[in-house]
Amino acid sequence: MDKTILSRLQKLNQLSLSDKEEESVLAFFADREAECEALSAIDTEKVERMVHVLPILTVVREDKEIKTFTRDELQKGAPETEDGYWQVPRLVE
Amino acid sequence: MKYETVIGLEVHVELATDSKIFCSCSAKFGGEQNDHVCPACCGMPGMLPIVNKKVVDLGMTAGLMLNCDINRTTTFDKKSYYYPDLPCSYQTTQWFAPVAVNGLVEIETSKGKKGVRIKQIHMEEDAGKLVHDDWTDSTLVDFNRTSVPLCEIVSQPDLSSAEEVVAYLERLRSLLRFAHVSDCRMEQGSMRCDVNLSVRPEGSNKLGVRTEMKNMNSLSAITRAIEYEVARHIDALENGTEELVQETRRWDDIKGKSFAMRNKETAGDYRYFPDPNVMPIVIDDEWFDKIKSSLPEFPEVKKSRYVEKLGLSEYDAEQLVQSRALCDCFEEACEVCGSPKDVVNWIISDCMKVLNRKQMTLDMLDISGKALGELIVLVNDGKVSRMNAKKILDAIFEGEENPATYAEKQGFIVSNDTGAIEAIIKSVVDSDPKSVQDYKSGKEKALMALFGKCMRELKGNCDPQILKKLLLECVEKA
Ligand SMILES: [Zn+2]
Repeated sequence: MDKTILSRLQKLNQLSLSDKEEESVLAFFADREAECEALSAIDTEKVERMVHVLPILTVVREDKEIKTFTRDELQKGAPETEDGYWQVPRLVE
Repeated sequence: MKYETVIGLEVHVELATDSKIFCSCSAKFGGEQNDHVCPACCGMPGMLPIVNKKVVDLGMTAGLMLNCDINRTTTFDKKSYYYPDLPCSYQTTQWFAPVAVNGLVEIETSKGKKGVRIKQIHMEEDAGKLVHDDWTDSTLVDFNRTSVPLCEIVSQPDLSSAEEVVAYLERLRSLLRFAHVSDCRMEQGSMRCDVNLSVRPEGSNKLGVRTEMKNMNSLSAITRAIEYEVARHIDALENGTEELVQETRRWDDIKGKSFAMRNKETAGDYRYFPDPNVMPIVIDDEWFDKIKSSLPEFPEVKKSRYVEKLGLSEYDAEQLVQSRALCDCFEEACEVCGSPKDVVNWIISDCMKVLNRKQMTLDMLDISGKALGELIVLVNDGKVSRMNAKKILDAIFEGEENPATYAEKQGFIVSNDTGAIEAIIKSVVDSDPKSVQDYKSGKEKALMALFGKCMRELKGNCDPQILKKLLLECVEKA
């Protein structure tokens, strides 16, 4: 992790960190990278890939259409709506 | 220098489900804006996704149809990007363990047969729709399509021309339609395609700079876009007209040009990570076997069976295997009437005429095969005339399932009572002495007028040949 990668990550996550915050984030990632490197010393050749941290599986539901909410209920908390749409600042020129 | 083109495709198909992938909202096309939404597909805090089993069924089916290995433990991951058409700011998709991998699709072009390797098939959710509104100078968001289930089929870069791309897409469409995975209607957006393309000197094993054209939705546009891009790449390599960069481009089919959109994200930019809200899905033997045993006969297997066992022509068989519904209808009708050649004639001429009137194509035929078979029996047994059979066919298109009762109700059953027919003919002839006179003085047309009147009186329930013979006899006597 260096300043260039961090600045790209900030852009992707729409964050803007102060110099001080950047320093602490860089230090944090340096520690994590060191941990990962330490882990990579372990031979995992014969270890099966872990698919999930918890040993539980998903439940599935049948393909049945159920209407649970109305548009008005859902848009009650919306800052702006227009004719049934959620309204956001203009995205393209 | 000679160049070769290297193309890989990412094809999105909408899966044929009633509800969305992670919630019970309707997955139907259309509807009023934000009518098919709930807290889950709007990305409200605290919502939890519950997987639709049918999506996994169809993902597996697609995998098996394309000769893939099925990952018996399959997981969902989050793909991050910020855009208002994705309410969670990530898309739930599959990255680490997609449902199907390592497939192979055989295509045929003017250069012969060729295998196209499938890298993977993953299940994922669609994004919403944005409307840019000049009036309010804002962007309006419709989440109806958000979380509608998709399969993305990723090929290896094994394609080398527009012709091969079209053959590959047609093959995918045929297989996926046959297995009822998706209706694959490009014009409605239920099948769309991203084209990754690069050009390199022939024989080179180093790939050139790759560009991607997103969301292509017609075969002809894809062909034009590929031809344009290949020429642009070669021009850049030969004449240095521009520097090629890895990027996403938009194809403008009206201008016949592609335009740079943005620098292409690399996989790392999406920061894929396992979705902690969806637990792994394990496909046990029972589930796997059920899907495997439900797979349809492949179109070409059906076609050769139709030709060899049922005696259809190559052409007719080819027409039928364009769609599974068509094959199902054909097979059902054959079972009822036992005459494959009659059934195929009814489908390809009579049904086709009705479809044309409705501005539909043959692959959209959706009528009861059993009813069609029963209608053919009525005609072959001489119980209804061809003319009235067409009216009965119209009723079958409107959902009529019992042609025999319908024919009776409408008075369409042919009368075998020649006495009754002769009586009607006599009354027509007696009431129109002028036409009789005209005919006798050599005006052939006058007989046709009488014939038409009789047919109307008989409501079409008479064999035209018999009617003509009886009418002539009656006129001669008059
Ligand atoms: Zn929903």
